[in-house]
Amino acid sequence: MADNDMPDFSGVKSGASSTANKIYTVVSGDSLSKIAKREYGDAKLWPRIFEANKDLLKDPNKIFPGQKLKIPPK
Amino acid sequence: MKAFRTSSLVLLLALTVVACGKKETPAPAAPPATQATQPAAPAGVTVAAVNLGNALGADKRVTAPSTSFARNDTIYAVVETLGSGNTTLKARWTFHKGDNVATVNETSQTIAANGPAVNEFHVSMPGGWPAGDYQVEIFANDKSAGASKFTIQ
Repeated sequence: MADNDMPDFSGVKSGASSTANKIYTVVSGDSLSKIAKREYGDAKLWPRIFEANKDLLKDPNKIFPGQKLKIPPK
Repeated sequence: MKAFRTSSLVLLLALTVVACGKKETPAPAAPPATQATQPAAPAGVTVAAVNLGNALGADKRVTAPSTSFARNDTIYAVVETLGSGNTTLKARWTFHKGDNVATVNETSQTIAANGPAVNEFHVSMPGGWPAGDYQVEIFANDKSAGASKFTIQ
């Protein structure tokens, strides 16, 4: 299939959200504020994620790659 | 003579036991577990509806479903789901020109549903969308749950 005459969609921006909790898998370099910025557009909302994951997280500064965090709806 | 009598008695006793032994009758067939089959409960999360629009309400549903959009629109695909459980939903957006298909975008989100949920995917194109025919296909755990076509004018 030739894509030569097809438009370039590399600049497309996308996003997704849900009324249900989302599940986010922590990757290296993540912090709760980074995740809050990505999911809510506001890093200051990190306590919302911490509260939803108190069964898993004891310290908001200690999250680990591979952990699956519940992300409450915005 | 006594030995003969004893062995005859043993033989008679053995024959009596065999004759009187009842043949094992088969147990009656067990009745069916249920006479009327109950519909199975839906397993996990299922996609109930997909709607497209260029704006969302506070409930995350499109304010006005449409399949025709302007070049500068943000396009929303709202996926309504039923059921509970963890499910990965994916939206695959494609552009169609004749027999050629170009992938516009793929976005996934994993949800932990606890009943009906409204899930939205959106795409926008800085500088405007090329006019033409597009499609968004929704997948639930990598199984297609349907596709919706739309056009950019």
